[in-house]
Amino acid sequence: MKKIFFKQLSILFFVSILFTQCKKSLLTIEPTIPLLTVDNYFKTEADVISGVNANYTPLSAIYSGAAWHLGDIMSDDADLGGGGGGDGAETAELDNFSMTSFNPILQIMWAQCYFGILRSNLVLEKTPLVAVMNPAIRNRSLGEAKFLRALYYFHLVRLFGDVPLYTNVITAEESSVIARSPKAQVYAQIIADLKSAETLLPNTTIGNDKGRATAGAAKGLLASVYLTLGDKVNAAAKAKEVIDNASLYGYALWNDYADNFKLINENGKESLFEVQYRSGGGTFSIYGAGTGINTFYGPRFQFIVPEGGYGFTVPTRNFVDQYEKTGAGYNTIIDKRRNRTIWIPGDTYNTYVQPTSLVGSPYGLNTKKYFISVDDPLGDAGQWRSALNVPIMRFAEVLLIHAEAAGPSVGKPSADLVRARAGLAPMPTGLSDAAWLDAMFKERRLELGFEMHRWYDLLRHPNANYFVTTMTAAGKTNISAKHRHMPIPQGERDKNANLTQNDGY
Amino acid sequence: MVIKKLFFAVLLSVCCFLVNAQNITGKVRAKETGKELEGATVSVKGTKINTLTDANGSFSIVAEKGATLVVSFVGLKAQSYKIGSSNNVDIVLEDGPKYLEDVVVIGYGTKTRKGISTSISSISEKDIRTAPVADAAQALQGKVSGVSIVQSSGAPGGTGGTKLRIRGITSINGNSSPLIVVDGYPLPTVPLDQNVENVLNSFGTGDIERIDVLKDAGACAIYGVRGANGVIMITTKRGKAGRTSLSLDVYRGIQQAWQLPKMLNAREYAIINSEAAIASGKTILPKLADFNAIEQQYGEGTNWLNEIFRKAAMQSVNLTATGGSDKAQFSFSAGYFKQDGIIYNTDFERFSLRFNGDIKLSSKIKIGNSIGINKFTEHGIDTYTPFNSIVLLALTAPPTVKPRNADGTYAGGQGNIDGFSEPNPVYELEVPKNTNTKYRTTGNLFAEIEIIKGLKLKTLFGADFIYQENNNFRPITPSTGGRPYDKTSYSASKNFSPDYLAEYTLTYDKTLFKKHKINAVAGYTFQENRYSNLSASRSGIFLQPIPALNNQIFTVTDPSQIDNAALDGVKSRLISYFGRLNYDYDNRGFLGFSIRQDGFSGFAPKNKFAIFPSVSAAWRLTQEPFLQNVKWLDELKVRASFGYLGNPDIPDYKYIQSINQSFQYTFGNSSGSGGVVTGAAPSSSYNPEIKWEKNEQFDIGFDGSVLKNKLSFSIDFYQRRSKDLILFIAPPLVSGTYEAVPFNSGTLQNRGMDLSLNGQIFSKKSFSWNANAVIATYKNKVTSLGLSAPLDNGFARIGGGSLRTVQGAPINFFYGFVTEGIFQNYKEIADHAVQTAGSNPTTSTAPGDIKFKDLNGDGVINDEDRTNIGNSYPTFTYGLTNYINYKNFEITIFLQGSQGNKVLNFTRWYTEGGVSNGNYSNKVLERWVGPGTSNTMPRVTLEDPNKNSRVSDRFVEDASYIRLKNLRIAYNLPAKWSSFVNLKKAQFYVSSQNLATITNYSGLDPEVGGGVDIGFYPQARTFIAGVTVDF
Repeated sequence: MKKIFFKQLSILFFVSILFTQCKKSLLTIEPTIPLLTVDNYFKTEADVISGVNANYTPLSAIYSGAAWHLGDIMSDDADLGGGGGGDGAETAELDNFSMTSFNPILQIMWAQCYFGILRSNLVLEKTPLVAVMNPAIRNRSLGEAKFLRALYYFHLVRLFGDVPLYTNVITAEESSVIARSPKAQVYAQIIADLKSAETLLPNTTIGNDKGRATAGAAKGLLASVYLTLGDKVNAAAKAKEVIDNASLYGYALWNDYADNFKLINENGKESLFEVQYRSGGGTFSIYGAGTGINTFYGPRFQFIVPEGGYGFTVPTRNFVDQYEKTGAGYNTIIDKRRNRTIWIPGDTYNTYVQPTSLVGSPYGLNTKKYFISVDDPLGDAGQWRSALNVPIMRFAEVLLIHAEAAGPSVGKPSADLVRARAGLAPMPTGLSDAAWLDAMFKERRLELGFEMHRWYDLLRHPNANYFVTTMTAAGKTNISAKHRHMPIPQGERDKNANLTQNDGY
Repeated sequence: MVIKKLFFAVLLSVCCFLVNAQNITGKVRAKETGKELEGATVSVKGTKINTLTDANGSFSIVAEKGATLVVSFVGLKAQSYKIGSSNNVDIVLEDGPKYLEDVVVIGYGTKTRKGISTSISSISEKDIRTAPVADAAQALQGKVSGVSIVQSSGAPGGTGGTKLRIRGITSINGNSSPLIVVDGYPLPTVPLDQNVENVLNSFGTGDIERIDVLKDAGACAIYGVRGANGVIMITTKRGKAGRTSLSLDVYRGIQQAWQLPKMLNAREYAIINSEAAIASGKTILPKLADFNAIEQQYGEGTNWLNEIFRKAAMQSVNLTATGGSDKAQFSFSAGYFKQDGIIYNTDFERFSLRFNGDIKLSSKIKIGNSIGINKFTEHGIDTYTPFNSIVLLALTAPPTVKPRNADGTYAGGQGNIDGFSEPNPVYELEVPKNTNTKYRTTGNLFAEIEIIKGLKLKTLFGADFIYQENNNFRPITPSTGGRPYDKTSYSASKNFSPDYLAEYTLTYDKTLFKKHKINAVAGYTFQENRYSNLSASRSGIFLQPIPALNNQIFTVTDPSQIDNAALDGVKSRLISYFGRLNYDYDNRGFLGFSIRQDGFSGFAPKNKFAIFPSVSAAWRLTQEPFLQNVKWLDELKVRASFGYLGNPDIPDYKYIQSINQSFQYTFGNSSGSGGVVTGAAPSSSYNPEIKWEKNEQFDIGFDGSVLKNKLSFSIDFYQRRSKDLILFIAPPLVSGTYEAVPFNSGTLQNRGMDLSLNGQIFSKKSFSWNANAVIATYKNKVTSLGLSAPLDNGFARIGGGSLRTVQGAPINFFYGFVTEGIFQNYKEIADHAVQTAGSNPTTSTAPGDIKFKDLNGDGVINDEDRTNIGNSYPTFTYGLTNYINYKNFEITIFLQGSQGNKVLNFTRWYTEGGVSNGNYSNKVLERWVGPGTSNTMPRVTLEDPNKNSRVSDRFVEDASYIRLKNLRIAYNLPAKWSSFVNLKKAQFYVSSQNLATITNYSGLDPEVGGGVDIGFYPQARTFIAGVTVDF
């Protein structure tokens, strides 16, 4: 009996071989907690919105950790400041034009722009495939992706010249062989993206969508791109389009220049587009949700900003001297913009009085534009978490683009609007084109001071040598023609043999 | 020739076939020792009649006149005896080259040693039994050439890990541990406990019959993608037909630390600490200011090492019963092992049960099983993380701090008085209750049918169930110093990881034209690993001081102090086909081919299947006419093998691009912290081509014996090339991603030699001495890191890691500064490269500080001046085992050692001034105190402005050692006495582990896994006494 049982058992054993499976499908195991992949993620409208949100994320780091070093400190508007010695060594390299291909600030700009570009490409590839979606949201999402891709490429092309250009979801292999595309192709892509974005994006945003890109922002940026390319006709036309439709987009100048930089006025009527910061999130990081600019720019260790203030981005006297004044001293400056833009000795805040000199700032000058008091923890929670947004484009800039591009006669009303708010007289009539250009460069410099534009304005001047002569005149004598383009990060070149270096590095 | 003779004998016996059955009785003896042999097989040639000899070597068998008896005994030459007129025969078996007749387990089959064409080393039950170890892997140390075993911890029960490496290191990021196969069951790779390798400590050691180590590609390729690191085949005891035998082994012992470093006493500490404070511009701790008062108050002070170390007990009981009939055999064993740790309040206790059975249902069908059930419970303590290791805490706690106050409450360092508030080691050992319990049941059932003669089908189903519970309870307990727990916390986790195996093998044995023997194996296996995990923890106020997570017991004070997690699913599947063909020509030439195809769920869809072929060949030169006349040479075989193996350790799902949902941005009201939105995007690229690491291994070896088989040897030379190593490579940022992605990039190489020698130095009846020596050496080199940047890892106090891997050097060499003595005066500092600039000795380099070499000559000492300052790889390792029998005594002397291995002794970082206000090693008494006072031990400071403690050759020590690993003296009760009490055998023994160690290494123990000593659990010196009785 027992033996029979065993025999049956053993037969069962051998028969089991017939049930053996060897299908390849058995070798595919889904993770227990489902894994979201680029191929399965984008299924709903909410997924697309999350994907688009990630397109914006690099803006936080770019404007907290790179744009001001490049746009302002590198220019004739500001010097490094800080504590001296090795303090901010990577920025000092930029300030002194001794930058190498290992400079971390350049790498931040390079990296964050490409993070944004890949994410935009992904949204552009996946959004059309989402079956059920509010058409308005679908258009907005596609428009945002294109707008942001254009903005990131615009940063790259102005800084590095020819750069790798791609509009697909690139693989790691492709990214390690991709070559640089000529500037013209990059600009063509930027213009195409913005032309498409201006039709896809909504005119205005409300409530919890405030801060997203709009049609007006796309048009304004496009005008700026045209101006950069020296295409005055299109620049003027595009700027005019915005100005003429200002009420449609809800644009107007604040009566007080300083209103642009108040927490309560964020994404306000003068704003076309700005980087959104909040005071929560990671601490002591340029990748956090807030910005460290308030602490970095605050007068060094005067404790009117959280963490004491580091005193970076010290305005040059060359900059301050541009303001119209009635006497010799800075206290005779009549330009109303000065008081919100910079600290000069004697400026007060509550009981604080700006001294005549500080560590890193021999003339007692500091940048004030993004100042949030240490007493306002909602505005700046400390540990590099200021909530104050940084403008990327204001309506005033659109007016100035129009003024510059349209020339002395057609452009004068636009310039006068900006000047009037600053408490300055209208522009004189009958200026030559060259004099008008100089006047407009100066007007932009003062209106948009420390909004991280100056370096690029120097570069785009019709006189190719303008940036070298102007910078040299301002005392930054290390500059040379090669600095039109910054070095391509060496780490990237190590991984991609096709990535050439700019001349002179 | 022997075979030929045998063949003729067989022929003759068939010719003289006569029908004349009679009872033949006789005795079987060994020629060399003259002893009667128990358990020798006596069979009548050409029939199924067979029997075994009894304890006196006697047998009785029915055979026909003129028939031939074949008598065999493991390790001896088989003898044929033609039955003549006498019914009583005396058969003497000569020593054969023992290893030639040894049956070796080769994976999906067995083979006698003489026909092996690959590289396999083995140890027997005796080697395991004589070493009182908790983990069977430890029994391999020094006994098998080419296998490196480092016990990097003396934690009880081997819980601190036993690192097994066969022939070097095959992977940088992946697994380098061998595959372990228990009775045919390839054990799954399971997550490591405490990040150490201790697979085998959940199994008992008393039921192991033998361990075979497959070392080369020819042997391992049958295990395909899991074979790259070699394979360890563990075979447990099975029953034999014959009288039921019962064997009981019991031992008890004590253990203690064999060496503890000398620290400063209270007065010395007060002096040195005050000197350091002055050197750093700090005020002296008021408590320490008066050295005499300190001495009066504290005497020698607290000896913290004595507070945590103790003499500890260990015991083991093993009971094995085997027996059975021709039809059915069984083996049953039960084991109990308990080891208290030499560190107070640590212990390990294990129960193990095994039942192996074999039943012959008919002449064609056989079924059987092998099941082991094990449980262990461990109470451990952290000895494996920098800063937290209890050993480090004890080394650095000041002698002027006490573990307890006079009233018995806990004390410890107080920041404001002692300047030291690290945890009190005694508190850390007594207050937290850490329990780790593991249940493991590993077993299989099999059936084998002979379909036609020579063709067998075997089906095997198996399972390996691991259930593990980890409980950590830290009750709120006051203390006047140290770092007491100010709230209670409890965490519990339960894991269940079942693994299943189904396996079908077809084996075909055929001899063609008498000389051509073929053995072919083809098989299919399916193995699946699942897991489930449930864990929870809470921290807050317990209403009752019991470890429970229930609400009525526990009030959580902070919701972030609750954590719950659960996971459940299939982890991996492996589906494989394999085949092997062995061809033996006339016992002279041997050829082997094997191939395995593995399909693994972890592989990318593009690369689901991997194929691993190998070929091996051997030639017994001594079977050839041209060597027949060389009398001194008894056996010489030359072997060679080549093949491919794999290492499947691929990170999960890196072949698809996953979405990271942790991005954030802000819209809407962004004042304050409103308006946050989440973003989703890939942050990592992917590698659709990701696949296993590939190993290409070549081996050439010689086996032989000389001087009438008194000396046998086996030597192997090998080269192992690991290709397609998985390295994590950061993508170009242009990819839009930043996380490093695994790529098959990089190669490394191990080249080496394994030698084992076995000599019968004496073999007389009353005195025999057998010695076994193994020596192994290898060189490891990274031949390419592919696209990867140099890899830095290992613990270091001051940035950058202590280990580095670059192209052209061994994996993980020590990376640090080169020292050039000590600055004796300011002139020397001025003449040297700048270390820490400045003229203030409290904040900059000053006389008495270490001078580091300016390797790149740039006049500044910085990270660029680091270099390769040695590595942990030994020049060679060796073991020498002596088995001596003198009358009724058996003596085992086992020496084991390692030469040329270095250790980066980071315990010295702590004890030579690394922990603020912590105690120092007494070597600091030799410190620099003025020009010419020392050129090795720097001045003492509290803040180390010169970074004297950075990773440098100062901490790299030669950790070569030779150890009397085991000395065992056993006395066998004479047969007449033991039979008087009805025992077959009785043996009393005493033994000592680690009785003597010769080393220059200054740390607690020279056996340091990975080469960086952060204060591991040291090994114990053990004394045991035991008895073995066979009924």
